Amino acid sequence: MSTKTGSGERTTSLTGIRLRNFTAFSDFSLDLSPGVNVFVGKNGVGKTHLMKVCYAACEVARTGIGFGEKLVRVFRPCNSHLGRLVTRQPGGQTASIEVARRDRRLTTEFGTWTRDPSEARTDAAEDWKDEGLEATFIPVEEVLSEASGNLASDDTRELQADEIRADLLSRAFRHLTPGADPMRERLLHPLRTAHTGRVIVEDNEFYLESQGRLEISLVADSEQRLGLLWRLLRNGTLRPGCTLFWDSPETGLNPGVLGAVMETILELQRVGAQVILATHDYVVLKELDLRRKNGDALAFHSLFHNGENREVERDSADHYSQIRPNAIAEAFSDLYYRSIREFADAPT
Amino acid sequence: MTVLLEGGLRITVPAHATARRFDGDEHRLSHCMKAVDFVLELPDCYRFIEVKNPARGRDPQASADAYLGRFTSGQVDLTLIQKYRDSLLYEWAAGRADKPVDYLVLVALDTIDDAQLLDRQDELHRLLPVRLPSGVPWKRRFVRHCGVFNIASWNLTYPQYPVERLPDPPPEPR
Repeated sequence: MSTKTGSGERTTSLTGIRLRNFTAFSDFSLDLSPGVNVFVGKNGVGKTHLMKVCYAACEVARTGIGFGEKLVRVFRPCNSHLGRLVTRQPGGQTASIEVARRDRRLTTEFGTWTRDPSEARTDAAEDWKDEGLEATFIPVEEVLSEASGNLASDDTRELQADEIRADLLSRAFRHLTPGADPMRERLLHPLRTAHTGRVIVEDNEFYLESQGRLEISLVADSEQRLGLLWRLLRNGTLRPGCTLFWDSPETGLNPGVLGAVMETILELQRVGAQVILATHDYVVLKELDLRRKNGDALAFHSLFHNGENREVERDSADHYSQIRPNAIAEAFSDLYYRSIREFADAPT
Repeated sequence: MTVLLEGGLRITVPAHATARRFDGDEHRLSHCMKAVDFVLELPDCYRFIEVKNPARGRDPQASADAYLGRFTSGQVDLTLIQKYRDSLLYEWAAGRADKPVDYLVLVALDTIDDAQLLDRQDELHRLLPVRLPSGVPWKRRFVRHCGVFNIASWNLTYPQYPVERLPDPPPEPR
C-alpha cells in the first residue's frame, strides 16, 4: 500500500474526474481535494453518480475488477447493459470516463451499443492497482438491519443486486480489531458524545450492545447510522489513507448529533483519509464550517444545470458560502424572504 | 425627510413618516429601562427599530466575529427582547402605544447568512412572543411582527426607508 509520494501527498487520494456523455454529464470535470469534498446541488444533478463512478474506480484499484463490470454492478442498468449509462441523446454516443490519482489515470470508453461490460475500452495505468486502497460507500439507505436471512452469508451477499450495500455489509462484518490503538481511539473520540454502545455481530446478525443487547433492526435509525460508523471505525475499515463516500450523512440523524459526525469526518481527513460526501443539509455545511481548523483541506462543489442547455456544471470553493449556486442556502433564503415579505406587505 | 444615524449607518425616512431617536437624552430612564434605537410612526402602526453595526472599533473584524458568535448562539436574544419590552412599556406609559407595533432588528453584518437571520427571527418570534399559545387571555397584541434584517434584506423589504453605510471616519491623529 502506498499512501505518500516523495512530495508527501497521498497517492491513494482521488485527484480528479472527467466525464463525457455519461448519464447526466455531457462534458464535466472536477478537481478533488485530498481532504473533505462536499457535493451540493438539487436532486438530479448527478451528485450520487459522481460518487459512484469514483467508488467504482477505487474498487478497480483494490480488487482488479474490470471498470465496466464494477460500473454495471454499482449503477445497475437494465439487463446489466453498460451502454444504458451513456447520456440519452438521438444517434449513437460514446461515453468516456477518466478518474485520476495524481498522474495515474483510469479511463474507459463505451457506446450506447455496448452491452457486455467487458467490451468497454478500459485503460488503466500500470500502477493504478493498489490493493491497499480502501474505499467505503455509505448509501442513503440503512444497511445493517438488512444483514439477516439471505444477506447473511458471504456467498449470497455477493449475489445481491445492490452492490454498494453488499460491499458495505462485507466491510461492516469485518472483525473488530483487538487491543488498544491510539489512532483508532482518536477517530472514535468525537463520536462518544453522540453514540454509546458497541455494535457486535452474532450469528450473522448485528446487535447494539449498550445497557442490554438489541437486534440492530429494533433500535432507532439514528443509532443504526451511528452504530455503522462506529463499527467501520472500530474494525479499521475507516483508517488513515482510506476513502469514504457518504451519500447524505444527515439521513436519519437528528441535527444535534451531526456535529459529532462531522467532527469524525474532519478527524478522518486530518489523519490522511479522503472523504467525499453529498448533502442537502445546512447543518452539515455549517458544522464543517464551524469546526474546520487551519490546515484542514475542504472543498465544496456546487453541481447545477446551466440555464442554456441544462448541462451539468459545477462551481468549487474552499468555503461553502462562496459556491454559487448553493441549493441549500437558496432554500433558506426563499424561506427567509417569504417570512419578511409577510410583514413588508402588512397593512400600514 | 428625516435622517437617522446610528453606528455608522444612515436610514432615510420620507416626509410622510415621523421618526425619532428613542434611546437618546430625552429618554431619561436609561438607568432602569432599555431602549430601542428609533421609533418610526406611520398612520396606523409604529415600527421600533434596533440597529447593530458590529464591525467597528479598533478591531472591526474581531468585533464582528464576536458578535456573530453571540448572534448565532442566541446570546443576543435577551437584550433584544428587553429592549422591545421596555420600549413598549415606556411608550404605553407615555400614552402613545395606541397602534400596532412592529419590531425591526437591523444587523449590518454581511457574514450572517439568510438561514441564520431566519433562525434568530424564529426564536424572537417565540420569545417575544409574536404568536400566543391558546388560552392566553390577552386582548391586545403585544407585537404585530418581528423581523431580523441585514442591509440587503432591509432595503429589499423597506425601499421607502433605505439604509446605507456611512464612509469610515478618518483615523484619529496620534
